[in-house]
Amino acid sequence: MKSFSKSAKRLGLVLIAVLALPSVLFAAEEIKIGVLFPLTGGAASAGRELRAGAELAADIANNVMPDLNMTMAKNAGIKSLGGAKITLIFKDHEGNPTLGADLAKKLILDDKVHGLMGAYHSAVTKAVSGVAEQYGVPLINDSSTSPDLTRQGYKWFWRATPHDNYFTKDLFEFLKGMTEGKVKGLAAVPKKDITNLAAACEKTEWGSAVAELIEKFAKEYGFELKKSILYGAKATDLSGEVRSLTAVKPDAMLFASYGSDSILMMKTLKDQKAQTRVLWGQNAGFEVPEFVNTLGDTTIGVLTRTVFIPKVGQVKPVAAKVNAMYKAKTGNDLSGASARAFTGLQAWVHVLEKAGSLKPEDIQKAANAIEIAGEELVVPWQGIKFATTGEDIGQNILGSGLIGQYQKRADGKIDLEIVYPFNLATANMIYPFPKF
Amino acid sequence: MDILFGSIVSGVLIGMVLALVALGLTIIFGVMDIVNFAHGEFLMIGMYTGLLTAQATGMDPLFCLPVAAAVGFVLGVLCYGGFVKYLLRGPMIAQLLGTFGLMLVLRNLALLFFGSEDRALHHGLLVGKSFDIGMGIILSATKLATAVLSILSFGAVWLLMNRTKIGKALTATALNRQGARYMGIPTERMNMLAWGIGGATVTIAGALIVNFWSVTPYVGLIFTMIAFTVVALGGFGSVPGAFFAGLVVGLIMEIPGFWDFFQLSFAIDWMADVPMISFKYTWIYVAYFVIMLISPRGLFGWKQ
Amino acid sequence: MEAIRNALDFSDFPKTDLGVALAVLVFLFCFPFFPHSAFAMATMIQFFIFSLYGMGWNTIGGYGGQVDLGKAQYVGIGAYTTMVCLLRWDIPFWVSMPIGAGLSICWSFIIGYPLFKLKGHYFAIATIATSLVLKDLFEVWKFVGAARGLGILPYKYHPPDFWRLIFKEDVYYYYIIFAFFIVGLLYMNWFRKSRLGYQLRSIKDNEEVARSLGVNVHWAKIKTYAIATAFVSVVGSFHAVYVKNIEPEDTMSLDISILIALMAMLGGAGSLWGPVIGAGVLIPLKSYLKEWLGAAAGLLGIDLIIYGIIIMIISAFEPRGLWGIIEKIRRRRRI
Repeated sequence: MKSFSKSAKRLGLVLIAVLALPSVLFAAEEIKIGVLFPLTGGAASAGRELRAGAELAADIANNVMPDLNMTMAKNAGIKSLGGAKITLIFKDHEGNPTLGADLAKKLILDDKVHGLMGAYHSAVTKAVSGVAEQYGVPLINDSSTSPDLTRQGYKWFWRATPHDNYFTKDLFEFLKGMTEGKVKGLAAVPKKDITNLAAACEKTEWGSAVAELIEKFAKEYGFELKKSILYGAKATDLSGEVRSLTAVKPDAMLFASYGSDSILMMKTLKDQKAQTRVLWGQNAGFEVPEFVNTLGDTTIGVLTRTVFIPKVGQVKPVAAKVNAMYKAKTGNDLSGASARAFTGLQAWVHVLEKAGSLKPEDIQKAANAIEIAGEELVVPWQGIKFATTGEDIGQNILGSGLIGQYQKRADGKIDLEIVYPFNLATANMIYPFPKF
Repeated sequence: MDILFGSIVSGVLIGMVLALVALGLTIIFGVMDIVNFAHGEFLMIGMYTGLLTAQATGMDPLFCLPVAAAVGFVLGVLCYGGFVKYLLRGPMIAQLLGTFGLMLVLRNLALLFFGSEDRALHHGLLVGKSFDIGMGIILSATKLATAVLSILSFGAVWLLMNRTKIGKALTATALNRQGARYMGIPTERMNMLAWGIGGATVTIAGALIVNFWSVTPYVGLIFTMIAFTVVALGGFGSVPGAFFAGLVVGLIMEIPGFWDFFQLSFAIDWMADVPMISFKYTWIYVAYFVIMLISPRGLFGWKQ
Repeated sequence: MEAIRNALDFSDFPKTDLGVALAVLVFLFCFPFFPHSAFAMATMIQFFIFSLYGMGWNTIGGYGGQVDLGKAQYVGIGAYTTMVCLLRWDIPFWVSMPIGAGLSICWSFIIGYPLFKLKGHYFAIATIATSLVLKDLFEVWKFVGAARGLGILPYKYHPPDFWRLIFKEDVYYYYIIFAFFIVGLLYMNWFRKSRLGYQLRSIKDNEEVARSLGVNVHWAKIKTYAIATAFVSVVGSFHAVYVKNIEPEDTMSLDISILIALMAMLGGAGSLWGPVIGAGVLIPLKSYLKEWLGAAAGLLGIDLIIYGIIIMIISAFEPRGLWGIIEKIRRRRRI
């Protein structure tokens, strides 16, 4: 009998081993991370950038690159997991939240991913984060900036990028700085010259959030928001919207638009000879390479908030090196989108390294305790550390934004120059915005 | 005041283009009782044709109109001969279903070949040029040229329908198919011709529109709805009706502009809180509904 | 009692049909016990959802012959009522669902009265117009979250929550929508034999004759429209708790309306099994084509091209849909 129970026990152990096999076996070989990006649809150009950024980071993590001064470049794979390699499974959500949630479910249940990353559009991220929360699968967000995302109280959601509350505040700090003469190469501008604002944001989660923030901060900083409109994303025609904006004769025009909309918006502004002193875009469509490539000289003087400008490489050697690698891979410089996808995956690598296990609970614990130094990152942040208490749970509290301005270089190419933060400024600001 | 004039002028210019969009629909409907739900997709194909020809040949998009017209004519004839002919035998429900199927196929073929990204023309003789003639009226050169070409196209179609034998045969087919056949008019060929002309006018409209609007495979639907409204207002089957209805619908699309005008000039605060611009297209749907209830024949309709 | 007996009475169908139907039902009932991927499960739930939408559409569109292309507005009303009730006042699903259906019916009366003065194409386009107007309104209406929509925070509830219908595993949703499906099927079986059902068919055949027989044509259409509406709205409520995140673009888009109508028309408008067959063929076709050809091979839109071609062929050669083909084959055999 004894031997029977022993063998039964052994059988049980074998069974358990067999059942647990997939996770044990794969733990040593690959770590699957499901990545949701808009690879088609209106933001497809951003999607390509994001994908390339994430792939580059995975490459660096999976291979030894001694000349790169980054922790994740030192080891092949995740050291604490026995050199396990990261495999990215990309899914295309087309900018559609329901599809995104469906895909997330599929990634979790069918592909058995260990973690998720994505999804650029805040609306999609919102839906995906709900799914991740429900199934207890960690989701590190790289580039969705609606503040609401970290205010849902989720325990399985972390966000590496600063959100729009920071960015919009930056904008108003910048406008205030203009009136105080803090901007490089610009004497103090009388407040009455830039007091009237007009905003146009696209009509989904992200744009709606930005519109609310602009309203809030305008009041706080004593600016007057004369007109704020939400326009239908994927619009084919924005002339009515632009006429509505120009009717209030705004001193500054503020936009939040995805890919193709931002180009259409600029073209319509040009068509209607809109006049304004400051033209500011909230990242996204205003900083994908397509924006400059298609619009050319029209972009000169446009301001955009971002988290990465190739000029950062001048002060951060790591950024310059990664940028060079990225350029070799895609032909473009790193943009705010690709730099954040890169950083998002980098955060994943550090979290996994710290967790030393693929159990969701361990990853959760590691993510909450993670501290990545600023030197590791390509973006000019102080680092990555996720808040575990307070209003923004899971938000990286060490991030910061930049404001860049498109300017023409001596060789005729158009580049983003840093104008904010003031101490990092790389060029004199062009003011007022040139007439179309 | 600026915004008032700006909106009116813009509405009229756009209206002329929308009229051209609807022209094909009204011709087809006039000749045979079928509503083509794939109409907007024809327009989308016209837009891509204009865009791609211009990009491939380096010609100005405005000179690509003949190409677009040819593509549209062939497309229309093919659709009729290969598909719609069979639909006409069935009940109305089958016609709806069938043209929906056509819509899905055309839209997704475009998606397959051209991708889902927006495309727009960024270069051309007139692209990006505009004239400020004061009083807030800013004429974009492309829209102006488009409006002029739209009028010319309308004139051509009107002449064709009213001054030529073919046009008379078409009208005869429309009025009484049986009778027309007895008079020796090849009605089947007339139907095909109607589809050809209908297709050509709408692709021309598309090739014009792409000068200032961007194109995606999904762009068709909104134009289908606009075209239906224009045709409903002008009267199903009426060519001059379509023109004037187009102008009216163009102005309806500018309602947000008028709203802004009232709000700004009379400083009415509550009006500023209404996000009127979000209802840009809503008024078109409302207009359709109201017109159909009040006068199902529209302004100039002779067919109900 | 009479009504229930009528609903359960399928005796006018041939035995083989009932055999096949029973086999399919047994398969559907057992499906969750077979090993399956989450993707297959989601597809099955979509199938139920759309066959129910299709059944609702079939009352007015199939039996009544009024091509309605604005069903998405009722999906929206149902979904939003449930969502708003749950998020604002914690009203459970089983209470908010009838409220949503009630609101939908009210709205259907308001717009149904003028709508049914129109006929044919004009009616079809007008339904699209109303649906889009409602969508535009929802997109700016702050109370229902405007364009950002509404979402359920999963951690606030303790699944399985049968009262609010919040579950972690799809299998619960599967059986609930399966139950809805059975009820819907029985209701449709009753409906087609009801007084209203016969009135509608006479209207479809010839409105003038129906009127001369003393049928209040306008009122019969409005009533049926309300029934169709209630169907769609109830499933819309289910959709809201199932997907947990709704926004106007998603629940009320024209694509949904078109899909609903297409599914029923393709399966066979005006027959009991039509919508089920239509959804049963098209939904798996659509999701698997998309999965295999679209996402995997990078052939965007190929799923809908094949889909559209099928629709074109059917509409040109057999307007009564797949069910029409089945009946044709059967008739030939008999001869």
